Amino acid sequence: MQQHMVQQNAFAQIPDAVKAFIVHFHQAVLDNNLPEITVAYESGWNKYTEKYYAKTEWPEAELIAPLVNDDPIFLILYRELYYRHVYSRLQPNIDDRFHSYENSCELFNYLLNSDGPVQLELPESWLWDIIDEFIYQYQVFCSWRSKPKNKTDDELVMLAEGGPVWSSYSVLNVLYSLMQKSKINEYIVAQREGKSPEEIAEIVGEYGQRPLYRLLGYFSIIGLLRVHVLLGDFTLALKVMDDIELNQKNPFTRVTACHVTTYYYVGFCYIMLRRYPDAIRTFVTILNFIMRMKQYHTRSYQYDQISKTADRMYALFAVCHALSPSRLDDNIGNIAKERFAEQYAKMSRGGGDALAAFEELFLYACPKFITANPPPYDDPAALQNLLAPPSPADSEAAEPASQPDATHRHLQLFLSDVAAQSQVPTLRSFLKLYTSLGAKKLANFLDADEEEMVQEMMVVKQASRSISRVPGAESSGLLDGQTITTSDLNFVIAENMVHITESTVGRRYAGWFIKNTERTQKILDDLKTMPLPASKVPTQQQQQQQQQQQLAKPVGGEKKVAWGSVSKA
Amino acid sequence: MAAQWIKPSTRPDPIEDLVSGVDRYNPSNVSILEDYLYHQIRSEEYDLLANLAILKLYQFNPDLHNPDVVINILLKALAASPLPDFNLCISILDERTTPSSLDEPDPLPTTLPLLKVLQNLLYRCRFPAFWQTYNSEEFETLRDNYTVEVAGFENSIRQVAIRAVKATFTHITSQRLGSYLNLEGDALTAYVKQLAWAVDSATGNIVVPPNPDNQIEATVVQEQIKLPQLTKVISHAVKA
Repeated sequence: MQQHMVQQNAFAQIPDAVKAFIVHFHQAVLDNNLPEITVAYESGWNKYTEKYYAKTEWPEAELIAPLVNDDPIFLILYRELYYRHVYSRLQPNIDDRFHSYENSCELFNYLLNSDGPVQLELPESWLWDIIDEFIYQYQVFCSWRSKPKNKTDDELVMLAEGGPVWSSYSVLNVLYSLMQKSKINEYIVAQREGKSPEEIAEIVGEYGQRPLYRLLGYFSIIGLLRVHVLLGDFTLALKVMDDIELNQKNPFTRVTACHVTTYYYVGFCYIMLRRYPDAIRTFVTILNFIMRMKQYHTRSYQYDQISKTADRMYALFAVCHALSPSRLDDNIGNIAKERFAEQYAKMSRGGGDALAAFEELFLYACPKFITANPPPYDDPAALQNLLAPPSPADSEAAEPASQPDATHRHLQLFLSDVAAQSQVPTLRSFLKLYTSLGAKKLANFLDADEEEMVQEMMVVKQASRSISRVPGAESSGLLDGQTITTSDLNFVIAENMVHITESTVGRRYAGWFIKNTERTQKILDDLKTMPLPASKVPTQQQQQQQQQQQLAKPVGGEKKVAWGSVSKA
Repeated sequence: MAAQWIKPSTRPDPIEDLVSGVDRYNPSNVSILEDYLYHQIRSEEYDLLANLAILKLYQFNPDLHNPDVVINILLKALAASPLPDFNLCISILDERTTPSSLDEPDPLPTTLPLLKVLQNLLYRCRFPAFWQTYNSEEFETLRDNYTVEVAGFENSIRQVAIRAVKATFTHITSQRLGSYLNLEGDALTAYVKQLAWAVDSATGNIVVPPNPDNQIEATVVQEQIKLPQLTKVISHAVKA
C-alpha cells in the first residue's frame, strides 16, 4: 500500500511535458510513423534530457507504463533509452548493468523469435545506436568486471553467479543471429552481382526484405568487427567484413556514426597487421569524408562522438605516417602533423624519444580493449590471490590489484614492432646522401659494428615493404593484398657495397589544370545565363570595366593569369 | 602472397568450413583444429587462420586451454616473420589468472618469454644472434620438448633469413650467409645448391638471383590522372 503511494507520488512528480512527450512518442511507435519517431528520438528525447534529466534518471519504465497502456514493446524501447542515458550521463550500478543486459536480450528476443518478422519500424540512426550501445555496454561491463578491487560483497556474489550476463558468447550470439536472420551477407553479394529487386527479395527472404532487419544485420557485421577488435582478434575482425566493399557507394553509409566507426576499426586492424599503407588509406578516406560532412553534422546529436573519433584517427594517421612515410594526401597529413606536431617530430626521428611518443598516441587513440573472461569470481581462493598476492611486498605500494590489462598487452606488442624499426629513420637519412657507400663506412658513421649494421639494413628493407590492398580489387576482402614498396628510397647490397637510388616525383600539373578548367567552365556558364544587357551604353561601360579588370588581373599571380586568359578566349 | 596466408592451398575443406563459419565458436570442434595443427607440425604445412581459431576457442573457453598447443602454434608463427603472425597469436592470448588448484605446472609462463626473445631477434633480422640464442643452454628445454617435434623447424627459420637476404642483397659472402643460416662447409654448399643460387667463381661469393626487391632503379614518379578527377570537366563538355 505504502509502495503504491510512493509510486503515485513519483508519477505525479513527472513533468507534464514529459508525460505528453512519452504519450506522443508511444503513439508514433504504434503508428509506425517513422518521421515522428525520428523527431522524438533525435530531438525530443535529448531536449527533455537536458531540461529535466541532465543529472538524474528518466522515470522508470514501470512508472510510465500506465501512460502507454503497458505496451511491452514500447517499454522495452523506453528502457533501451533509459539505460543508455544512465550509462552516458550517470554512473550505472550493478543492477543497471544486469538489467540493461536483460532488456537488450528481451529486445533481440522479440525481434528474432516472434512469429515472423515484426512490423516495428525504427529510424536508421536508432537501429545503429541499439547495436552500438549493446557493444558499448558489453565493453564497459567487461572492463568494470576485470577490476575485482573495491567491489562490495553483494557485487562479488552477483558476479560469481552472473552466468551468461554480458558473456562474449551471448554478445556474439546476438550479432550472428541478426546477421543470419536478415541474410545480410547474401543481400550484399546479390546487390554486388546486380540481381534484380525480385531476385534479391527471394534470396533474402521475409526478414531480409524489411529495412529494420536488413539494417540491424548490416550494423551487426560492423558490431562484430568492433567486438573482435576489442578482444584483440584483428584478423577475424577483418574477415567478418569479407563481403563488404568499403567505398562511398555503399548504401549503408547514410548513418554517419556507423560509417566512421567502420573505418576507425578497420584502420586500427591494419596497424596491428603492420599494414601501414592500408591503414593510412583507410583513415584518409574517412577523414576527408568527415571534413566534407562537417557542415551538415555539427547539429547532429552524434557530432561530439564523431569528432572525438576523428581526432583519434588523426593521431593514428600520424603514427602510421611516421612508421611508413609516404606522400599520400597532403591535406589530412598536414592537419595530423599540425595537431600532433610534437609527437610526430619525435616519432619520425626515431630513436629513444620516439617510443614514448608512440606510446602516448597509441594509448590516446586505441580502442578500449577488454579481456574475454572475468577474474575468478567463482573461485574465492584464486580471487584472494589476485587481490592480495601472497608476497611480502607491501600491498599498499603494489599496483592496484586487477586483471592484467589487455590494453597493456597490445601496447607492448605494438611498441616492440616500433622499437625494432627505431634505427630505420637514421639509416634512411644517411642513405639519402649517397648513391653508393661502403658498409664499413656507414657502420663507422653510426658507430656500429659492421655486421650488425648490415643486419639492420635488412630491417630497413623490411620496413620499406608492406602488404597492401590492390586498388580496383575492392571486392576481394580486406585481408587480401600484395606486397608493395612503401619507400622512395631503395637500396641493395652487393657484398659490402650499398647502392642507393631514390624515386622522385615529377611535377604535378593535373590538379591545377583541372581546377582552373572547372572554374572557367563555371564562369562561362554564368556568363551565358546572364540576362542580355538592356541598352548599348551600359554594355560598353561593362566591357571597359572588364578590360580594366583584365589588365589588373595578371599582376596577382598564377591563378589570376588563368582567369585573364579565359576571358580573352 | 596474402591469398596463401588467408587460405593456404593445403587447407582441407572441413577446416575451411570451420574457419569461415560460425562453427568456429563451437568448443567441441577444438580437437579437430588441434589435430590439424599437429598435422601441420608433422608435414611442414602452415595455416595461421586455423590456428588462430584454436586460440579463439581458448580465449572464450579457458577450460580448453592447452599450453602445449599454444607453444606449438607460436613456434609455427615464428617462421612467418616479418609477417605479424606471432603477434596476432599473442594478441588473443588473454592473460590467465592462475587457478587456486593447479594440477601440473603450466609451461607457458616460462616458455612465452623465450619465444618472444626469438621472435624479436627474427623480426630485427639478427639471424646470427638468433641461432646463438636458440642453441644456448637456456633454450634446451624448448628444443628438447618442442622444436624437436616440429618438422623442419630450423629450415623454416632459414627461410625467414633467405627472404630477407633475397630482398636486400645481390651478392653475399658465403661466410655471412652461413652465419645467417647457421650452416657452414658442405652443408652450406648443399643448401645454396638446393636454392639454385650461383657461386661467383672469381670471388667465391654467392649470387642472389635477381628479383623485384633487389633490382633497384631510380624512377621519376609521373603523375597519373584518374578518370573520376575529370568527371566534372567531361560532363560539362558533354552538356555543352
